[in-house]
Amino acid sequence: MKSRKKRVHLLLTGLTTLALLAGCGGNAGNGGTGAAGSENAGQADGTDSSKKGPVKITMIATLHTPEVPSDKIEKLLEEKTNTELDIQWVPQGSYDDKVNASFATGTLPMAVNTGLIFFRDAIRNGQFWEIGPYLEQFPNLKNLKPEVLKNTSVDGKIYSLYQERPLSRQGVIYRKDWADNLGLQAPKTIDDIYNMAKLFTEKDPDKNGANDTIGLADRNDMIYGAFKTVSSYFGTPNGWGEQDGKLMPEFMFPEYMDTMKFIQKLHKEGLINKDFPVTSKTDQRNLFISGKAGLYIGSLPDVVGLLEKAVEINPNAKMDVQNRIEGPKGVGIWSIPGYAAVVLFPKSSVKSEEQLKDVLAFYDKLMSPELANLMQYGIEGEHYTIKDGKVIPSTDTKLTEREVKPYAAVAIGGPRTIQMLESNYSTPEKAKAEELVKDNDNILINDPTAPLDSKTFNEQGTRLQEIIKDATYQFMLSSIDEAGFKAQVDRWLKEGGQQIIDEYNASYQKGN
Amino acid sequence: MNDTAITSSVSVPGKRDSSLMRRIAKNRSIYLMILPGFLYFAIFKYIPMSGLVIALQDYQPYLGITGSPWVGLKHFERLFNDPMFFTILRNTLFLFTMNLVIYFPVPILIAVMLNEVRHHLFKRFVQTLIYIPHFMSWVIIVSISFVMLSMDRGLINEVFSMMGLEKINFLMSNEWFRPMYILQVIWREAGWGTIIYLAAMAAIDPQLYEASRMDGANRFRQIWHITLPSIRSVIVVLLILKIGDVLELGFEHIFLLLNSMNREVAEIFDTYVYTAGLKQGQFSFSTAVGFFKSVVGLVLIMAANWLAKKAGEEGVY
Repeated sequence: MKSRKKRVHLLLTGLTTLALLAGCGGNAGNGGTGAAGSENAGQADGTDSSKKGPVKITMIATLHTPEVPSDKIEKLLEEKTNTELDIQWVPQGSYDDKVNASFATGTLPMAVNTGLIFFRDAIRNGQFWEIGPYLEQFPNLKNLKPEVLKNTSVDGKIYSLYQERPLSRQGVIYRKDWADNLGLQAPKTIDDIYNMAKLFTEKDPDKNGANDTIGLADRNDMIYGAFKTVSSYFGTPNGWGEQDGKLMPEFMFPEYMDTMKFIQKLHKEGLINKDFPVTSKTDQRNLFISGKAGLYIGSLPDVVGLLEKAVEINPNAKMDVQNRIEGPKGVGIWSIPGYAAVVLFPKSSVKSEEQLKDVLAFYDKLMSPELANLMQYGIEGEHYTIKDGKVIPSTDTKLTEREVKPYAAVAIGGPRTIQMLESNYSTPEKAKAEELVKDNDNILINDPTAPLDSKTFNEQGTRLQEIIKDATYQFMLSSIDEAGFKAQVDRWLKEGGQQIIDEYNASYQKGN
Repeated sequence: MNDTAITSSVSVPGKRDSSLMRRIAKNRSIYLMILPGFLYFAIFKYIPMSGLVIALQDYQPYLGITGSPWVGLKHFERLFNDPMFFTILRNTLFLFTMNLVIYFPVPILIAVMLNEVRHHLFKRFVQTLIYIPHFMSWVIIVSISFVMLSMDRGLINEVFSMMGLEKINFLMSNEWFRPMYILQVIWREAGWGTIIYLAAMAAIDPQLYEASRMDGANRFRQIWHITLPSIRSVIVVLLILKIGDVLELGFEHIFLLLNSMNREVAEIFDTYVYTAGLKQGQFSFSTAVGFFKSVVGLVLIMAANWLAKKAGEEGVY
């Protein structure tokens, strides 16, 4: 039985592998020839005629849409920057594998869009160009925010350009119609949130006569689900916080315990979905969309998709968004380090300083308002129109998805660093959500370890974090008590956590 | 004495060589037919094994095998000193034992039952129906069981609460993980597992049954004295193969069932390698764990084979 099963598996694996190989082969072929060609071209340019012919630039970028974009915008970019672009589009799902494989085989293109952590060792090893000293020479690149660049630095040196993202999108989305039915105001404090969850559960907010609603819908994600955001409301540090001049992990702060107790209370009283530690994002959304739950804590712009779906089921559904939820210590919201991905320049493909400057000059031009708008919104009259100085995107979303959207993965910087056109939002909810995302910038809680480095964390951090994650869930579901949680924290310390604390603090002292 | 020893030790290998060459030359078409299979195993199974050396290095992709520093048994030490090691080993062996004791007999039982069905069409219908789950991925099976077992409007818990019973937290408890696991394995694999047994049973000489009926054996006697003994060697071979798979409990399946509330009984080597190794780019450590797992599997399969031979069965090699 087993052997036959194995054989079938083998056959399937074989076929899949073949299919993949075929796919990769195509890609690799393109990329390979591209890279080789570019090296020659680049060298020729670099030595003989750097200012004359178009500079050839190769890059690898994530493809978030099903299709490779048409080359309409690429052509325009080439024309305006006097370059010859070779962009290797790789679907999101296999992107990291592709980058790692290219890296291992020494075939990375000249510009690599990637996460940073995986390459830290290689950066230390001198595999990538340090670009910090050059940034001042470029009128647009020098606008990149120093505090964000610091977060992307390795041992205090800057090796990458970054793609900007809103620092914190977190907030509360709730059913406005339910709140109106019960005469509730928009929640302003953490007690309001509890109160709303309780009344949504017990007071039949949808007026259907059945006891079939709960307050909060959460999912199996402690960061982008409700937990981390609620912990901000209680004043917990973002990942790490300073205590008596020393960095300590968030879960050693009393505010973390308060957050756990809050969720535990919701769980005990049945105000949150019982299976939230194993609830998927889809199921969580469905709870909210279908009118089973009335509160959703997470990314504010999600309100658009949630409302669209909810109205299909119940045309009377209304939603509202809220931020600045006040806890015992005032307001605050955790933030990401200010970037989504970075662009690295491998020495294996960018051969000389001259060539590096050419590539940087290209990115400098990409950061000009004209080209940034082009990559963000497309061509005026074709992909968008302008009304009252604001962009109104074309209603043909298929067209923009095919021709424009993918280029967001190539662009660097963003609205904070470039004078870009603003977009007119389609619905008031969306507009309000975007406004609150901007407002979050005023109350950010930063992660002080973003620019720091710990060897033990790089090697064992994920596994150690599992200990804390498990203990947190176990506490919230009342299967361990406070002493039990402390015991797990001690275990974390003993199995390597203490080293992480020491290493981060050493790195912190050095940085200050 | 001396002379013969020398001549034999010198001449025999030479003779053997030449005769081997001659044999190959003579049967070259047959050897040519082996070649693709031989190359397959050499290229895809044996040569890649040399990659195991990275278990003894601090492997970095950009330095490659030749450039990465050698660190001896560091990664094995880390594994054996890991506080989770015994939990993981215990879980792995426990789930394996459950597989062997609870799951393994089920396909035999079903095959025997199906073999007794006289209505041909019905038999084929049932057979097809019960092996269909084999073609479903674990993602689907686990998702279905989540929908059925959830505390938030899961079908089974809804039925419980309608009957006035307490809801049971199947998905997030240490107690229910193992029963859930083995039932899912049986549901998915048992039907598929019957195929080989049924094939073996089809080969049993009908005269044996006829003779036993003459002697007055009823159905149960026939099963006990004819059906089961006839498929004994098949059972033994499959058992040995199953034991060889000792630590292959299905990463995907367990990974999907695993959560913070049942990690204590659900974490196995594969899931551990994923979180502690691959997710952090610790290739060398992952390799060391995988290597340890394979060695345990090899030892077990050899032991099982040895036992089978002792018991007078054929074994797999």
